[in-house]
Amino acid sequence: MLDKVMIALKSIGKNKNRNFLTMLGIIIGIASVICILAIGDGFTHVATKGMQDHNTKNKVTLEFTASSDEDTKSGFTRDDLAVLEGIKGVDHVKLTSSNPEASVTVQHQTKKTSATLNKVPKRVKLYRGFGTILNSDDTGNIFISKDLADRAFKGKALNKRLVINDNVYVVSGIYKIGDFEYRPDIYVSKTTFKQLFAGQISQDEARLSVQPSANKKAVGKSAVNEMKKFGEDSKLGKYSISHPDQISKSFTKTLNNITYFVAFVAGISLLIAGIGVMNVMYITVSERRKEIGIRRAFGATAGDIRNQFLIESIVLCVIGGLIGIALGYGVVQIINSFLPFKAVVTTYAIIMSLSVSTIVGLVFGFIPANKAAKSPLVGLLKEE
Amino acid sequence: MLKVTDIGKTYGKFIALENINLEVSDGEFLAIMGPSGSGKSTLINILGLLDQKYTGEYLLKDKSYKDANDNYLSRIRGDQLGFVFQNFKLLTTYSVYENIEVPLIYSKQKQANKRELIEDVINKVGLEGKEKNTPSELSGGQQQRVAIARAIVNRPNLIIADEPTGALDSKTSTEIMDIFTNLNKAGTTIIMVTHDREVADYAMRTVYIRDGHLYNDEKSVKK
Ligand SMILES: Nc1ncnc2c1ncn2[C@@H]1O[C@H](COP(=O)(O)OP(=O)(O)O)[C@@H](O)[C@H]1O
Ligand SMILES: [Mg+2]
Repeated sequence: MLDKVMIALKSIGKNKNRNFLTMLGIIIGIASVICILAIGDGFTHVATKGMQDHNTKNKVTLEFTASSDEDTKSGFTRDDLAVLEGIKGVDHVKLTSSNPEASVTVQHQTKKTSATLNKVPKRVKLYRGFGTILNSDDTGNIFISKDLADRAFKGKALNKRLVINDNVYVVSGIYKIGDFEYRPDIYVSKTTFKQLFAGQISQDEARLSVQPSANKKAVGKSAVNEMKKFGEDSKLGKYSISHPDQISKSFTKTLNNITYFVAFVAGISLLIAGIGVMNVMYITVSERRKEIGIRRAFGATAGDIRNQFLIESIVLCVIGGLIGIALGYGVVQIINSFLPFKAVVTTYAIIMSLSVSTIVGLVFGFIPANKAAKSPLVGLLKEE
Repeated sequence: MLKVTDIGKTYGKFIALENINLEVSDGEFLAIMGPSGSGKSTLINILGLLDQKYTGEYLLKDKSYKDANDNYLSRIRGDQLGFVFQNFKLLTTYSVYENIEVPLIYSKQKQANKRELIEDVINKVGLEGKEKNTPSELSGGQQQRVAIARAIVNRPNLIIADEPTGALDSKTSTEIMDIFTNLNKAGTTIIMVTHDREVADYAMRTVYIRDGHLYNDEKSVKK
């Protein structure tokens, strides 16, 4: 086998430029595959870590999914809370929201627009304005994103007034949102958020702390059943036990979009690469009719010839794959500086990439290799 | 070694060979002479199992390969036959050693002593020290020696040579014919196509071909 690979390397080496250009598609395709898998693996890693925490704390999370996309109000109510706390084996219950932002309507002069709003984190890096902190009891000032500033004020928003749900606030800072970052449009102080907006956010998650003696699964099941029967919003949506690896939906969505895009690029470039490989193998086969004739005259079977060209096609793709893996690794290092978690290139991803390269070589090399194997011998030997 | 009975071959309407009868015994050195286009290559391609599209009967070692499958034919070619061509047919990007190795790659025989086998035939054709050279670094005579070494490395029963001296000057031709003579003395059957009388004189027997017909002596050809 090794000698056959050496023969393939030798033939490929004879046409370095042509073969390198053919490999480019494979390189880009495989680099994309490496990136997708690295992001996916990094994400799964973060998610599983979360799941472990979850388990040790003996918690079950119930989730409410509204039937209508526009419905942001329904979820678990105070009465529901009481029902859940009454279930046998439940220690206590906390209601939370999977999407803790409020959706609001904002108005500047006569211009209205909708925006998302949340309480301010400890520190915000401002792009316009002073400081980084909004005092927790400051009820007059807000920070807004540059994006909202452009939308609502056409730029100059600092120290201007903004009406949110009929209350007036002063814009005292503007922040930028990075490309791979998620932030709401408006930050208000903790007190403001609690008094005016917290009530609008539907509490669509119920975290049940289960007593150590109770069976977590059974408790989760009976909680879902109880909610189906007694839940106040049971007609507006569905209850389920949430899987602990479900991280913030908007984030997952962004990630999915990136993944689909990269998968698309990978697929297209591998397809184009495959066609390129097929083309270059056709050229190789017709250039080497004499060689094929000689080998056939000295004992090579049609199968030997087919294998020779198939191996050549596979070796070509695997070399491209190896370069692609190296390139993908480099790109992963770069995107890691934008991602909120660390994308990792695993052994599995490398094996996967090499398998994909092999398959491309095999699939697209097959027809040319078969053509080489099937050519009639006497004709081949007349070639010079 | 082989027996040909009433063989014919056509290319469309063109009759390349007609009613060919020929018997070659073990250890014989046969020359086939004839002008260009007379059908010499067509005939020996059939004898060398390179061309299966013919009419009539051809027995090699008393066996017919007319209906043999392609893989089996490849193996017979590799193990029992050795080819030498006019224009050498060497792999130009491979070394002398690698060219001679080709039949061994596909041979089902044991290959523990591959290196020895190759060195042995290199000595036989007088190419010591040229193992690493490529064909373009050799003279025509040396290239044909490589081709002969390749043809005999699997110790075939029958060597089929199509105008082996066609591209060589007369001095080099003599050297090549000496190698063939020695191989024949050592027991290898040889069938050689040529249109050079001096070259044909090295053979034990000569047959003549003209317009696809075979004659046993020259006089009948001229009739
Ligand atoms: N593939 C082919 N198709 C049509 N005619 C052919 C083919 N191969 C050979 N011929 C014709 O058959 C005749 C014998 O050819 P060949 O055996 O090559 O002659 P030579 O005696 O010179 O070796 C020639 O007239 C040649 O033109
Ligand atoms: Mg000829």
